[in-house]
Amino acid sequence: MTRTKTVKVDYLARVEGEGALYIRYDDRGVHDVKLKIFEPPRFFEGFMRGRDYLEAPDITARICGICPVAYQMSSVHAMEHALGVTVTPELRALRRLLYCGEWIESHSLHICMLHAPDFLGYPSAVAMAKDHGKIVQDGLQIKKAGNAIVNLLGGREVHPINVRVGGFYRVPTVAELNPLREPLLRGRDMAMDLVRWAASLPFPKFERDMSHQYEFVALSHPCEYPMSEGRIVSTRGLDIPVSEYDQHFREEQVEYSSALHSALIERGAYFVGPMARYNINYAQLSPLVKETAEDIGFPPFCANPFQSIVVRCLEVLFAFDEALRIIDSYRVPQKPYVETARKSATGYGATEAPRGLLFHRYSIDDAGKITDAKIVAPTSQNQKTIEHDLRLMLPKFFHLPEAQLQAQCEQAIRNYDPCISCSTHFLRLDLRHSERSQP
Amino acid sequence: MNKWVVISLGNRFRGDDSVGPYILNRLRDQVGHMAECIENGGDIGQLLDDWKQRCVCLVDAVMDQGGRVGDIVRIDGLSEDLPQNLSTTSSHGLSLVEAIELGKTLDALPHHLAIYAICGENFAISAGLSPAVKAAATTVEQEIVELLNRQEANNARAIPDPKPGR
Repeated sequence: MTRTKTVKVDYLARVEGEGALYIRYDDRGVHDVKLKIFEPPRFFEGFMRGRDYLEAPDITARICGICPVAYQMSSVHAMEHALGVTVTPELRALRRLLYCGEWIESHSLHICMLHAPDFLGYPSAVAMAKDHGKIVQDGLQIKKAGNAIVNLLGGREVHPINVRVGGFYRVPTVAELNPLREPLLRGRDMAMDLVRWAASLPFPKFERDMSHQYEFVALSHPCEYPMSEGRIVSTRGLDIPVSEYDQHFREEQVEYSSALHSALIERGAYFVGPMARYNINYAQLSPLVKETAEDIGFPPFCANPFQSIVVRCLEVLFAFDEALRIIDSYRVPQKPYVETARKSATGYGATEAPRGLLFHRYSIDDAGKITDAKIVAPTSQNQKTIEHDLRLMLPKFFHLPEAQLQAQCEQAIRNYDPCISCSTHFLRLDLRHSERSQP
Repeated sequence: MNKWVVISLGNRFRGDDSVGPYILNRLRDQVGHMAECIENGGDIGQLLDDWKQRCVCLVDAVMDQGGRVGDIVRIDGLSEDLPQNLSTTSSHGLSLVEAIELGKTLDALPHHLAIYAICGENFAISAGLSPAVKAAATTVEQEIVELLNRQEANNARAIPDPKPGR
């Protein structure tokens, strides 16, 4: 006789925001998987209507305390696209430097404080620190170096305030930027150690078979590892300008989640984030990062999501390397920002948040007021793939005791470093759904 | 580096949560020569760096401690149990309790940690301080000034008071 079992996690720990997990399965397979996001919707897109286009970077930065720079960058790129403005190479370099700071901050937090305990069998980073103090200490020091970049360019470490459409309110002098070099050099060394440590972790064996291969989606740029610019490219042939996003991706509501699920219109679930960036853009990584990957025997294409922790470490190393390159070649922009003129237009922007592709679209009127806004966060885009992972992964781990099975499921979710607060938004509320019975 | 440091926690744009930065701003001119003043915007991990082996006054707002609005909760952070909800700013970050726990493990605790938590009622954006919280802020400000003046008078070799003034 087949007995149905459930894995139920009422409150997912060590992810940003409030979510739960429900899985129903028996010996024949997995019958239901729901990553439930019950954090209330936040209506950012709604209350941006009527606000001035210059306010977009400061308002959207408030969506997330972990990746505010990503929201600022996607919003300014969308506004500049709408207004036909291109910033100078010097300003572009500073934006990239700021993004390096955020990648360092966000990735180091996830690697050392949130994800590492899964691999080493601890309930939290605080517990893990008793036996692995150096990892936690290094993680905090690496994050501090990222904080220093965001603090200097953004005006403060959390929710920076110095980014504006067209550039920055104020740009640093060479003398102000140079003191970052020493902590970044130290941070880069620590990042190298972190890569080697992460590569030595025990990874659950999980790769999808040929019929369930991931479709990785990331920006791709001909000259650089993508952060703020590029075309949207996938491992199954998608190659479009950001302005065509709406023609290829759709958002759909599911009754158990306050976050919309994103899907490719033609093919469904897809995968954004560090692994997608790495797999699509390996050739654009710096020589140091590629040498390090080769040294540890890590391949240029990674299909095991549990190894995303190594990819994040490699991206941290890249962000340090890139930040140092930018600082060493820094020329102070002649003006802190490029002037923009109000006009009726629609603009599109997509940048690579630490967790993956972050899409913004705005329409503004002649007075520069926002008339429509659409924001698609990386976690919305990964939700379907997370659920598919759990559905495919679970049968391989049926032999585990239930508590261990549950831990494995939670670890699989944390592979994606989900930011639930970012992902919660509603376009539409259909109350008929609320009458359906819940499991 | 100053031996003493005053650290504020809280969001300066969210009503009573801004009481920490409010106190810190008022203290800068009065105690700047005796103590470093650091505004922490929510990066609790940064506390480990800022307070390691120093003497600390930490000011913050607190919700629902069973007290009245404007009540001041004074805690010796190194010897007393802290309410679990003190400075839980994000599910992606550390709470103050975890920061202290981590500080113990990583040998990154302060020598002295006087926590002043003020009970607030309105944490809405742009709400400003409630009158009772503002009054309490003045009391805390005076207590910290007195504490630092005493320490100054006792010179750098003096053993810090075990608890903030009551």
